[in-house]
Amino acid sequence: MSAVSGLGKALVVITGASKGFGRALALSIAPRLAAGSALILAARSDDKLQELKADLSRGESGLTVRCVAADLGCQAGVERVITEIRDIDPDIDHLLLFNNAASLGDVSRYCHDFTDVDEVNSYLSLNVSSALCLTAGVLRMFPQRTGLTRVIVNVSSLCALQPFPSWVLYCSGKAARDMMFRVLAEEEPDLRVLNYAPGPLDTDMQLQARSSSADDALRNSFSVMHAQGQLLTCDQSINKLIKVLLEDKYPSGAHLDFYDL
Amino acid sequence: SSPRDLGRALCIITGASKGFGRTLALQLSCLLKPRSVLMLVARTTEQLNQLKEDIITLYGGQNQLDVRCVQADLEKKEETSVSEMDHLLLINNAASLGDVSRFALTFTDPVEVNRYLSLNVSGALSLTAGVLQAFPRRLGLRRSVVNISSLCALKPFPSWVLYCTGKAARDMMFRVLAEEEPDVRVLSYAPGPLDTDMQLQARRSSRDLQLRRSFSSMFSEGQLLSCEESGAKLMKLLLDNDYQSGAHLDFYEL
Repeated sequence: MSAVSGLGKALVVITGASKGFGRALALSIAPRLAAGSALILAARSDDKLQELKADLSRGESGLTVRCVAADLGCQAGVERVITEIRDIDPDIDHLLLFNNAASLGDVSRYCHDFTDVDEVNSYLSLNVSSALCLTAGVLRMFPQRTGLTRVIVNVSSLCALQPFPSWVLYCSGKAARDMMFRVLAEEEPDLRVLNYAPGPLDTDMQLQARSSSADDALRNSFSVMHAQGQLLTCDQSINKLIKVLLEDKYPSGAHLDFYDL
Repeated sequence: SSPRDLGRALCIITGASKGFGRTLALQLSCLLKPRSVLMLVARTTEQLNQLKEDIITLYGGQNQLDVRCVQADLEKKEETSVSEMDHLLLINNAASLGDVSRFALTFTDPVEVNRYLSLNVSGALSLTAGVLQAFPRRLGLRRSVVNISSLCALKPFPSWVLYCTGKAARDMMFRVLAEEEPDVRVLSYAPGPLDTDMQLQARRSSRDLQLRRSFSSMFSEGQLLSCEESGAKLMKLLLDNDYQSGAHLDFYEL
C-alpha cells in the first residue's frame, strides 16, 4: 500500500463508536475514505450513533454510514454487526476493523473481591470474546484476495503490558487481547494486525478511572494528569494512529504505544 | 541437614486428577507437616479418589495428612480451620488446551470462547479470590498462590489462540494480585513441555503443521519432561521461597 493520505475505497468497522475514542476515530477517518466506501458504527446507544451519523453526513458524500445498535457482550450483538456488513459491496481496496469497544470493569475492587465467576465471565465476554468473534466473522465475510488490504486494529493499553492495582479485569482483558491478535498475526501473514495503545485519553473511561479506582496512588496520579492538562485529546492520539496505518510499516502483531511514536 | 518442608499447610490443587496436578499432589504430600490438609479439586471423582488412596498409602498415615477430594465446582471450598496452619498454598493448575485444530478466524461463536475463558481464566480468579477471602491475612500465616503458566503466556503459537490468550490473561491477573497484596507470595510457573494427555492432544490435533511436527519430534526424541522433574523444580521454588512475587518463571530458566 503506497503512502497516500487516503484509504481508498474502504469498508471500515468501528466498535464502541458512540463516544470517546471510537467516535473521534469515525470523524477522523471518514474524510479519508473514497466515494463508495462504507463506515459501520457499532455501539449500544442508537441515539448517539444516529447523532454521529448526522455529524458525518455534513462531510463527505458517497460515504455509506450504517449504525448498528448492539451489545457486544452478548452473542446476538456480535451477530448483528456481522449481518450488517453482509450486503456491503465487496469491491473494496481496504478493509479496516477497529476493535475499540471496551469497559473498565469495576476498578473500585481488588482481585480478592472477584469471587463471582459470572461477573468475570461477563466482563471477558465483552472485552475479549467479542473482539475475537467479531474479527473472525468480519474476516470470513471478506476473505483474502489480491488487491484487498485487510487491517485489524486492537485498541490496546499500557495495561496490556503492566499490572495496575485495582484494575485486574481491565489489565487481564487487555493482556488477553494483545496475545489474541499476536496469534492472529502469526496465523495470517497477509493481514495487517496492530495492537495500538492510545495513551491516557480525556474520555468518560478516564473519568471513571480517576473517580473510582480503589488504589489511592493510581487515583491521585490520574487526577493530577487531568488537573495538569496531561491527558491527550482523542484527536491527538488518532492522528498518530492514522499516520502509522498509512505508512504501513509496522510489524504485524506489534504493540505500539502513542508515546513510542 | 534437616529436611525442609512447607509447614503445616492447607494446600489446594485444581486439576488434581491427572497429569501435572496429580504429580504436584503427590510431591506436596511428602513436604507437608503433620495435620496439614490437602484439598484435591477436579472433575473426575474416580481418579481423585484413587489419588487420595495413593497419597494416604504413601504418606498419609505417618503424616496424619488429611486428604479431601472436591469434585468439580471450582467455586466451592470446604470449611477448614486454618487457625493452626502456618501456610496457605493454592495451586491453580486446572486448564484445557481448547480446540487447537482450528485457527483464530474460525472462532466466530462467543459461547465457545466464553466457555473456554470461564474455565481457564474466570475460574482461576474467582477461586483465588474466594480462597484469599476465606483465609485472610494473619500474622504467622504464609499465603502462596501459584499459577501454572506456560511459554504460551508470553509467545503466540499458531492454532493455539484460546490457550495463549488464556495464559496471557492469567499471567497478568496474577501480576495484578502481586501488586495489590504484597504479603501474598504469587508465582506464575511455566513447567516446560510435559509428557501428559494435554501434550498428546497438542501433537495430535494442532492445526499448524510446524507446531505438530515439533511436538512429535520432542516426543519421539525423549525431550518431553516428566511431571516429576518439573514438579520438583516448583517444589524447590516453594521451599526456597525467594522468588519475586508476581514473577513468571520457566522450568528452563531454573
